[in-house]
Amino acid sequence: MTVLESAINLVDAGLLAQLLLGALAILAAVVAPSRLRSLLAGAPIVCAGIAAAATGTAALLGGVGTGLRIPVALPLTVPLEPLLLAPDQLGGLFMALAGVVVALAALFGIGYAHGPAASRTGWTAFAVFAVGMQLVPAAADAVTFLLAWELMAGGSTVLLLADHATREPVRRATIWYAVMTHLSFLFLLAGFGVLTAAAGGTSWATMAAASVAGPAASLAFVLLIAGFATKAGLVPVHVWLPQAHPEAPSHMSAAMSAAMVKMGVYGILLLILRLLPDGPRWWSIVLIALGAGSALYGILQASVQADLKKLLAYSTTENIGLITTAIGVGLLLRDAGQNGVADVALVAALLLAVSHAAFKSVLFLGAGSVLHATGERDLDLLGGLAARMPWTSVTFGIGALGAAALPVTSGFVAEWALLQSLIHVDARADRLIAIVIPITMGVVALTVGLGLLTFVKAYGIGFLARPRTQAAAEAHEAGPAMRVAMVLGAVLVVGLGLVPGPLAQALAGAVSAGGVSTTGGAGLLLSTVDVVLNPVALTLLTLGILIPLVAMNAVLARRHPRRDVDLAWGCGGERISPRMEYNATSYSEPLVRVFRSSLQASQLVDVVRHDQSPLLVEQMTFTQATGDVIEDRLYLPATRWAGRLGDLARTVQNGSIHRYVGFSFAALVLVLVLVAL
Amino acid sequence: MSNDLYQQLIATTTGLLLLAAVLQIWGRSIVRAIGLLVVQGIALAGLVLTVGLHAGEGSAFLVAGLLLVVKAVVMPWAMLRSARMIGVTREHSARVKPAVELIGAAGLTLLAYAVSGPILGNRTDPASQAVPVGVSLVLLGFWQLLVRGSAITQLVGFLMLDNGIAAISFLTSGGLPLVVELGATLDVLLVVLILGVLVVRLQAEQGHIDISELRELHD
Repeated sequence: MTVLESAINLVDAGLLAQLLLGALAILAAVVAPSRLRSLLAGAPIVCAGIAAAATGTAALLGGVGTGLRIPVALPLTVPLEPLLLAPDQLGGLFMALAGVVVALAALFGIGYAHGPAASRTGWTAFAVFAVGMQLVPAAADAVTFLLAWELMAGGSTVLLLADHATREPVRRATIWYAVMTHLSFLFLLAGFGVLTAAAGGTSWATMAAASVAGPAASLAFVLLIAGFATKAGLVPVHVWLPQAHPEAPSHMSAAMSAAMVKMGVYGILLLILRLLPDGPRWWSIVLIALGAGSALYGILQASVQADLKKLLAYSTTENIGLITTAIGVGLLLRDAGQNGVADVALVAALLLAVSHAAFKSVLFLGAGSVLHATGERDLDLLGGLAARMPWTSVTFGIGALGAAALPVTSGFVAEWALLQSLIHVDARADRLIAIVIPITMGVVALTVGLGLLTFVKAYGIGFLARPRTQAAAEAHEAGPAMRVAMVLGAVLVVGLGLVPGPLAQALAGAVSAGGVSTTGGAGLLLSTVDVVLNPVALTLLTLGILIPLVAMNAVLARRHPRRDVDLAWGCGGERISPRMEYNATSYSEPLVRVFRSSLQASQLVDVVRHDQSPLLVEQMTFTQATGDVIEDRLYLPATRWAGRLGDLARTVQNGSIHRYVGFSFAALVLVLVLVAL
Repeated sequence: MSNDLYQQLIATTTGLLLLAAVLQIWGRSIVRAIGLLVVQGIALAGLVLTVGLHAGEGSAFLVAGLLLVVKAVVMPWAMLRSARMIGVTREHSARVKPAVELIGAAGLTLLAYAVSGPILGNRTDPASQAVPVGVSLVLLGFWQLLVRGSAITQLVGFLMLDNGIAAISFLTSGGLPLVVELGATLDVLLVVLILGVLVVRLQAEQGHIDISELRELHD
């Protein structure tokens, strides 16, 4: 019992520690001199992140605290119950995930933050954001949840606005983000309102015990899914993501993309696993459709982006889409009674979430490091960074491997588990499943393929070949704090990929899935579908084959000395310039050609001919633009209509004093007439 | 004071109030409008004195004297002074024709009588019978705010509205406590003095005192 008791203490103490460290960080951010501010404010946030990781892990492994009660005294007519923080296993997982990402991002931020992001406001906002985000999964009732949710949203909005004075896109991005965040909050408020009214209490326990069903449950489901999907960045409410992630300071982008959007995923899981576990079947179809659409649309947009951070942002939509798809598949299969495969799908969803958190942190931190060194995010203007930024290059490469789901990374394990669940479905039993699952499999396969292409581009164009601009040629390696953060993240990506067994086993507990166990020390055994993945063994096997081959090659090469070739055939000359290299736009040109309509691609070739002869070309300019079809077709018309409504309102509100007096006079006369009648 | 005299006095003072209000709506001369305000001030003071003496309150003289000084002397004097300073003696920026104004005023007076019944309920004493006049003053003051453009006439309309409120309060409850009455009157006095200065500034800056031209809020 002593182990469990210490776990109990750890959960409660950990929650308290996070709050105190957050307060300490805010204090340090406000009082510290500007030279030491990043260090003094960043360090407590790193510690708070570590505390959250420890607390979350303890809760994930079954430690149940008595809960941290925060009494609130508000002058309300309705007495408010104390805010209760008591993470369950699922909450523990997401708290740990958020904690690790926050620790990495804050560590990176200590070295990276400069200008407005390193101001008092900047660090205070980051601390509020980080602690709020870590406490979202710890909340045990709707009020606490929404409070933590708003702390997270408010802090991130302020930090996003950091650079607004110098860059116009920041303002635009912040407006989009603020509007979408509010929309998400309103949906959640309405959804929890419906649930609370139906269940007669705000705590998760009450809601779960009331087992709400019927129209109230479906209404709550639709509202809450809309709210969570907005935060998670699912299509069609993803529009804030590709705007906000590129414009935020990079450590913030990493925290937002790797951890904050996961809170949307946590919300979806909380809803369908704990609060409303027995929903009708169409709920799962909604989730699969949302997820598959997001995955495909996200990766398609990512594959044609030349802006590195925008590419990563769209890839986030893709990954969240895959996670939601997996959740939907798990739900559908549970409903169909195929519990074994359903468990694998749900565990796959969590694996995807964890692995995305790991590799997306590394990628955004790497992008931040590149931005720090060159001032550029445009892949077409980078190149050749591998030689000048070896640390960044290797860690970003590992992150890209993870994002492309290649072995031996965590991304591979996660997508492997997802595909295992999909191909082991018994599709004969049910007509709906027979239709949905093969389509989902096709979407996942296409997504994985395009993902590979996308990250080959991101790494190959950005880091290999020759530098395309002076800025890229003069890049310098990141500082120690940034380097440590990136390396730690990369170690996580590879570590989770090499030793997936224990992690998957812990995750299975969070969604009460059976049939997941560790085999051979580190490997993953899915006994319900009877498959084994042992990356260590596979790696050793691969090495066992490769090493003799390489050795043999070396011996043979020594026997036949290489002939020196002065210059390979270089288009008939030695003038090989960086302008002849493949760049991001040309690399993705075939894709743009295939998916022209859904990408809204437009290409313009401008040819300037020589004055002497029209047959001679003096100069050619190629311009390509792609748009977000959902933003153009859905949001722009909506904002246009809102604008027209505003213009109409202006005719009522024209600034004339007489008109305002007239309004109140008319109201008075109307009331009097009503009284007289 | 006999009941008959009381009734006669109430009818006279409230009748004077209403007559002054209608004449104000009718005319376009600013000087005359201010003169009619003096009449209203005297009538209001008379009403206060009548109601107070009937109720046997010793402070009635004090309140009536205060009203007389402020509403019939100080305020009209301040407004007349502003009007003289800017040299505006006639309303030029009315928004509707005089006939329409008068018809509207008649309708509002009828409305006031119509709505006062349900508000008063079963009370039949002479003071309560006169309450519709107070309501008409409020509505007519509002009406003037709505249809007139120049800042001074606006002020006249506002004061008429205030007179209406004061009349209603005296007629229904026998007057407010002295302190409250003092506060309210001084508030209005302050408004008049400040607006008097503002009107002069307005004329100096804009060359007119038509408030419908003030649309800074527009964009």
